[in-house]
Amino acid sequence: MLSEMGMSSLDELFSDIPEDIRRDTPLPLRGPQSEEEIWADAQRLLGANVSLDDRPSFLAAGLARNFVPTMVGMLATRGEFLTSYTPYQPEVSQGMLQAMWEFQTMVSELVGLPVANVSMYDVSTAVAEAITCAVRVHRRKSTQKNVVYVSMFVPPQRLEVIRNYTQGSGLEIRILEHLEDGHIDMSSAAEAAGCCAVYVEQPSAFGILDPGLMDLKAVIGEETALIVGVDVVSLGIVEPPGNWGADIVVGEGQPFGIGPTAGGPIYGIFACGEGYTRQMPGRIVGLTKDVDGKRAFTLTLSTREQHIRRHRATSNICSNETLIALMGAMHMALLGPRGIERLALRVASATEVTKRAVASIDGIELVDPQACNFREFAVRLPGKASDALVHLDANGVLGGFDLGVWWDGMSTCLLIGADERTSESDIEALVTGLSSWLEGAGS
Amino acid sequence: MARGGWLMSDLFAFNGAEGAGWSQPSPSLGDDESWSTVPESLRRVSPPGWPRASEPELVRHYTWLSSRNFGIDTGFYPLGSCTMKHNPRLNERIVQLPGIDRIHPLQPEHQIQGLLAIFFEMQEMLAICSGMDVVTLQPVAGAQGEFTAMRCIQEYHRSIGQDHRDKVIIPDSAHGTNPASAAMCGYDIIEIPSATDGRIDLAALEEALGDDTAAMMITNPSTLGVFEPDISRVTEMVHTAGGQMYYDGANFNAILGKTDPGRMGFDAVHYNLHKTFSQPHGGGGPGSGPIGVKSHLATFLPSPIADRRERVGDDAKGVGDGYWYVWKEVGESSIGKVQQWHGNSGAVVRAWAFYRRYGRELERMSEHAVLNANYLRHRILNPDSDTAERMHAMPLDGVPAEVVKHEFTLSMSALKDAVGVTGRDVAKRLLDYGVMAPTLYFPMIVPECLMIEPTETESKEVMDRFAADFHTILGEDPEIVTTAPHSTDVRRVDEVWAARNLILRHPGPE
Repeated sequence: MLSEMGMSSLDELFSDIPEDIRRDTPLPLRGPQSEEEIWADAQRLLGANVSLDDRPSFLAAGLARNFVPTMVGMLATRGEFLTSYTPYQPEVSQGMLQAMWEFQTMVSELVGLPVANVSMYDVSTAVAEAITCAVRVHRRKSTQKNVVYVSMFVPPQRLEVIRNYTQGSGLEIRILEHLEDGHIDMSSAAEAAGCCAVYVEQPSAFGILDPGLMDLKAVIGEETALIVGVDVVSLGIVEPPGNWGADIVVGEGQPFGIGPTAGGPIYGIFACGEGYTRQMPGRIVGLTKDVDGKRAFTLTLSTREQHIRRHRATSNICSNETLIALMGAMHMALLGPRGIERLALRVASATEVTKRAVASIDGIELVDPQACNFREFAVRLPGKASDALVHLDANGVLGGFDLGVWWDGMSTCLLIGADERTSESDIEALVTGLSSWLEGAGS
Repeated sequence: MARGGWLMSDLFAFNGAEGAGWSQPSPSLGDDESWSTVPESLRRVSPPGWPRASEPELVRHYTWLSSRNFGIDTGFYPLGSCTMKHNPRLNERIVQLPGIDRIHPLQPEHQIQGLLAIFFEMQEMLAICSGMDVVTLQPVAGAQGEFTAMRCIQEYHRSIGQDHRDKVIIPDSAHGTNPASAAMCGYDIIEIPSATDGRIDLAALEEALGDDTAAMMITNPSTLGVFEPDISRVTEMVHTAGGQMYYDGANFNAILGKTDPGRMGFDAVHYNLHKTFSQPHGGGGPGSGPIGVKSHLATFLPSPIADRRERVGDDAKGVGDGYWYVWKEVGESSIGKVQQWHGNSGAVVRAWAFYRRYGRELERMSEHAVLNANYLRHRILNPDSDTAERMHAMPLDGVPAEVVKHEFTLSMSALKDAVGVTGRDVAKRLLDYGVMAPTLYFPMIVPECLMIEPTETESKEVMDRFAADFHTILGEDPEIVTTAPHSTDVRRVDEVWAARNLILRHPGPE
């Protein structure tokens, strides 16, 4: 190949790099390995991790210890899907385009809003971009310009993402208060009326389902966007926010399609009313036809996007989480309308049974005793949650999440997650572990 | 089920299951009442209009869809700027291991020593390859990496009383994400035109620089595939004006082991693990866009970063290398998180497996990528005389350059002038020949541009065949080319109709 180009060495191909910036020594890295050796190292290293399936686990904190149907991984990793790029050439990308159009349909049906995109990176960036999207739509008519209210129970890491994404557009983030019992404070909500957007989560970070949120849109008014973050599985039994006034719904898609995967790749869902379509972030697939009138699919509304609009784009998002959304689509399609209800019931009942069992331990009380919970609930302990977790860990139980990590003043509060895989023996192990910790702490 | 034509496989038309295509146990805990605490007012009234399909129907549906999708596994994918190299299957097998798939990012450190060790190894490797001091793996896409780094630069300037620096300079040949990411931080964008040879116009740069310059964002080699010979001069000029230099690592595949952004004078860089390190593109993602920075920017990075110390007495076994791995918080001045967890860990693990295949010989990867690009460019631009005679017009070199790096551009403007066949027509016609179309009409400074990147994993035979097919197309009946493609699942798609009618979802089950 070199001689055909009239060259004698590979070095000539790099002669355009000025000598003073060339690397003249080999990279100080380890030697190359064969597939067998890499596989052995991967097994050794990743085998040193403790999988959620190895022990009773009550750690959720926004991610789901799910069971993904076997079909999903096997079909989504077919090379035609796995190794394709963004479908810029629709004539040879109808498969992924149709799958994403179907994904948009299933998300739309799930949350009760007409429009959905192909995915965001995760729920935190979906919230952040939902806020900037809502502000673009509402800025002009709002009476509290550039003001956005965010629920006080949004986890701090998610709030950091929101702040990073919104600080450049000069938004003021105010905190929407909740009452002592975890439910929304309607007088605080009334102060939000006329701002650009309000963001709440149903269920909240404490797993609380709040019926009061269904009145929120009426309180904040038409000129303020209501953005709701959801647990996607809960919508099998819980009324979708699109039906009670939400303008944009976001959620962590991970429970459908992929394991927690150490936090990624996962995907955020993003759905909205038609008034927001042209200000949305992300890829959108539309139905169309080819020159013969044959049904076809294509990416559409690209004029919102960075490769066309550059610095005036609605978002900088380019690579997204399409393959994971495809896994989610397969999982949703397998569940079907009855399967999603069944799955939600399994999680709801596991949450309730676990909650009752833990609350029955002397010395442990529920943070919000009157609340209805989905997937998670918070308890207050007589000592530090971090100590309880260490004790539980020593007894082979992943006991949940120390809420003191998220909020000062909650260091005695433990966030306990339950799901469709929680068993009676898991609960017994948790109760036994907490009881023995309490005895030790008391003595 | 009819295949093709109007009667396509329709997810919402199946009736193989009454509404649950997949079996799951009944709620096994407690009694039926245990979930009835969900207040009546909150209960879902009607179920979502999801498919009522059985598993066999779905297996066929998705298999059929996959047959209507073109990936690297299907054929040659010379999509410029996207680095569509082979995706080793081992990497997919590794991420199925429970030690990554079934891991929660908030598990205590002693339960994720293997994950932390891989993160640490990747941070070190990327820092070495780029000449940067500190790396974070948190950003989940190239664009998010750009955004994260620009946020760090913004906070750095604020910390030294340089808040007034609100302009970011970007060449017109840059990827669209560059200006979009900087604008999301709140920066104003100054776009400077490239010189006709694709290089940075130093006079235009001089004019754009000032006391308000926050940074310049560039990729080198540029999107034209040309290495910027004045790069050291550029970074010096920007630094002298008080600005920071940002390196878009989309084209890292061209220079790995040969030079690095640190030597060129850059302060921050992002890497696309889904390009250079073979994380599969998956039809649009997931990606992974770690960033590396020089030490003066390190205190602004998102937390946490993987770190390690010597193992001491009562530490558990760890991974057996004598170290104990930990998460390190960046501290008070951190910009905060850009993704809620630790980034796309699964993509990092795949990239780790890819890196291990090369180790210190990563530069072989860049050598072969550059060799392939130059060879294919040579073949396309130098047809033999018989072939040249059969063509309506010659393909034109996008920019004059002795050698290119990992990609190159062609202009179809002579062909357009001769017989009215555009770059888009040629791209669509290539689909009929069983290869993916190159990147089209980018960068915009080349008229009727096709941007071609073969990557290092293609053989000479594949490139010879591509060049021959390319030459054939340039001699074909223009009528055939302008109406291409002819043999694909659908023919040329009406994108305008899609945007006018906005049918963004299925009406749902019948």
